[in-house]
Amino acid sequence: MSRETLSRPEPVTPRRRTPQRRRPTSRRPSRTEARNARAAAGFVLPFLALFALCFIAPIVYAVHQSLHKTERTGPLGLGGQEHEAFAGLANYAHALSDDRFLTGFGRVLLFGAVQIPLMIALATTLALLLESAAARGVTFFRSAFFLPYGVPGVIASILWGFLYVPGISPLVKIADAIGWDLDFLSRGTVLWSIANIVTWQFTGYNMLVLIAQLKAVPEELYEAARIDGASAWQVARHIKLPLIRPALVLTTVFSIIGTLQLFAEPMVLRPLASSIDSGFTPNLHAYSEAFVGNNQHVAAAEAVLLALVACVLSFGFLRLVGGGKERR
Amino acid sequence: MTSNDMHPMHRRTVLGGAAAVAAGFALAGCGDGDDSDAPRERKKGQRITLTFWSWVPGIDKPVDLWNRKHPDVQVKVEKVSAVNGQQYAKMHAAIKAGSPPDLGQIEFPVVPSFLLDNGLLDLAPLGAARHKAKFFGWQWQQSVFGKGIYAIPQASGPMGLFLRQDLFDKWDVDTPGTWDEYETAAKTLRKKGAWIETFAPTNGNRLAGLAWQAGAKWYTTSGDTWIVHIDDEPTRKVADYWESLVKQKLVKTIPDRQNAWYKDLQTGTIPAWIGASWGDALLIGNAPGTKGKWRAAPLPQWQPGGQAYANWGGSTTAVFAKAKYPKDALDFAIWLNTDPESIALLIDGGYGFPSAKKGYTTGDLDVDKDFFGGQAYSKIFADAGTHVDTSWQWGPGVDTLYQRLGDAFTEALADGGSFRAVLKKVQGQTISDLKGKGLKVESGG
Repeated sequence: MSRETLSRPEPVTPRRRTPQRRRPTSRRPSRTEARNARAAAGFVLPFLALFALCFIAPIVYAVHQSLHKTERTGPLGLGGQEHEAFAGLANYAHALSDDRFLTGFGRVLLFGAVQIPLMIALATTLALLLESAAARGVTFFRSAFFLPYGVPGVIASILWGFLYVPGISPLVKIADAIGWDLDFLSRGTVLWSIANIVTWQFTGYNMLVLIAQLKAVPEELYEAARIDGASAWQVARHIKLPLIRPALVLTTVFSIIGTLQLFAEPMVLRPLASSIDSGFTPNLHAYSEAFVGNNQHVAAAEAVLLALVACVLSFGFLRLVGGGKERR
Repeated sequence: MTSNDMHPMHRRTVLGGAAAVAAGFALAGCGDGDDSDAPRERKKGQRITLTFWSWVPGIDKPVDLWNRKHPDVQVKVEKVSAVNGQQYAKMHAAIKAGSPPDLGQIEFPVVPSFLLDNGLLDLAPLGAARHKAKFFGWQWQQSVFGKGIYAIPQASGPMGLFLRQDLFDKWDVDTPGTWDEYETAAKTLRKKGAWIETFAPTNGNRLAGLAWQAGAKWYTTSGDTWIVHIDDEPTRKVADYWESLVKQKLVKTIPDRQNAWYKDLQTGTIPAWIGASWGDALLIGNAPGTKGKWRAAPLPQWQPGGQAYANWGGSTTAVFAKAKYPKDALDFAIWLNTDPESIALLIDGGYGFPSAKKGYTTGDLDVDKDFFGGQAYSKIFADAGTHVDTSWQWGPGVDTLYQRLGDAFTEALADGGSFRAVLKKVQGQTISDLKGKGLKVESGG
């Protein structure tokens, strides 16, 4: 993942121990190349086939769906024939004129603007602490922090749901006892209750990515810094943080995409809370259109819009932080 | 496409046949694309298997009985999840993919949504009408649209009031017979620290029932046109009433049939519930510690001494449009819902209130009298069932309507908006939803 690995994709040519073996590329390049190409194709083909089947095909189908609509005939629209007709951008217009869908976008953007920096800061702090020289019980804490990532989102939401629902939640009971009217599921708080679940789940994962990058920092740099009399804080600030920048960018991009796709948590909490509506997040809205309203065409348009926004935000963020100067 | 029971054929014959079918299409001008799946008659002695998607608890038992009695027409139950309407999502998807089962469990309100998909088979040409007299008329009518009969009714849910008699006695509150008395009772209960109900904003189903009781008709038809009346006078009356209870803080607004609500039932924080006949199983299962303390009572009335009731829930056995042996599927659907042995097994499983008129006694439905202090509570619901306004009709897209109502009530509760504004908004949304589905729609105010 780090630059070192990327720049050395192939093992370096064997040292001169076998001089008599000629490098095959020097002569008759055409046949060998053809064979290599065939071999490469053989390796790549299964991936490409699956990729096309599971990734490209659904996207093409979704785009196709988003450009069509269902037309019905027959008395009361029942029992007649239905057929698909080209709809142009009508489904997109419908989606974009739906204020609930747009509100959902606003909500996840707000969510991302608050939750992602918090989570990344927390993950970075934990990673730096666990990788600092003074850390104790590193393996235990690393596993403990990472553990929530192993809990599927739906299960995590159910678990947290029990901690949120009044009448069952011990937290609410304790707050009640000290006269604090705590409601995790009100319209004002529920978004942040969800943010808490997401943070709980993904901080450990992001921490692990950052730790992996920290481990790749050459030991000599720390030695040099120590010899120069740098404090632990200075090492973290001036060596570790700049060097894990690629991992920070990566985790942030993943988090942006994940935030836009927020679905399981509001879906699970919805029956428990009167404050989550069917368009709480864009993904939930698309789901409701497809599976409650049976409007696959509009849902497809919404999914495509969501993917476009995710693209724009992810690449926009990369441009913003990359800008060409840091990245090689 | 080729089914298992086709006779083995040579490849050429098959191709030839396919060509003939294709030519048939061309000649018919693609008038009816269903020719390829034309329903078949089962040959005498031929063994077939029908698939049946259902979630009703204990449905396997009557099906096993049928399979023992009808060795040639085997029915295979495939359980589907009924959580959050997942079963319907699955059925709609299967219809779209062209591979639905032969039979399915479908609730009354969503039957029209499936017609919109061309998902259900019209049973009228198969002579289904001759079975009409075996069922309660209004339940039969729930799946009749125009001349088509699209499902066989299985069970209904006449509405009623469940209450904790011990607490009502302790606090000296009479069982409310009218909605005015209900409000008075709510005030007394509130002084004792309890709440008479929760107005669950996302429960469109019950709201529909309450509007139904008040005389609303959310959907009517005129010629080819659907007329939507969600914002009609009776519904406004119901909305005003509940808005007033909410504003006076006489009812909670938590979701119902969720953990927090069950907890309130167990502790007596909410000592009453406007429910339906199938609610007995729900209370028995979720508040076992309150055994013997509950009673059922008729739904409060708008007019003193009135007899207006409504239905909440209830479902049908429907035959999907692609069913290969529709006659046998219909026979099964009729048998399942009218045969006394089948009904007895279904009642044991707790499926609701039978749509069939005969084959059981009201007493059979008292699954656990002890829970209700020995009361023959099913009689309350049976009486209600005979006074349900039978002209109520469901329209297409009810699932979306419930979602719209839930979203709008959620918003109104949060920002103090009026419930009348909710009805107005949802009325408009529903009309544009139906237009979006390519239907002719008008607003009925």
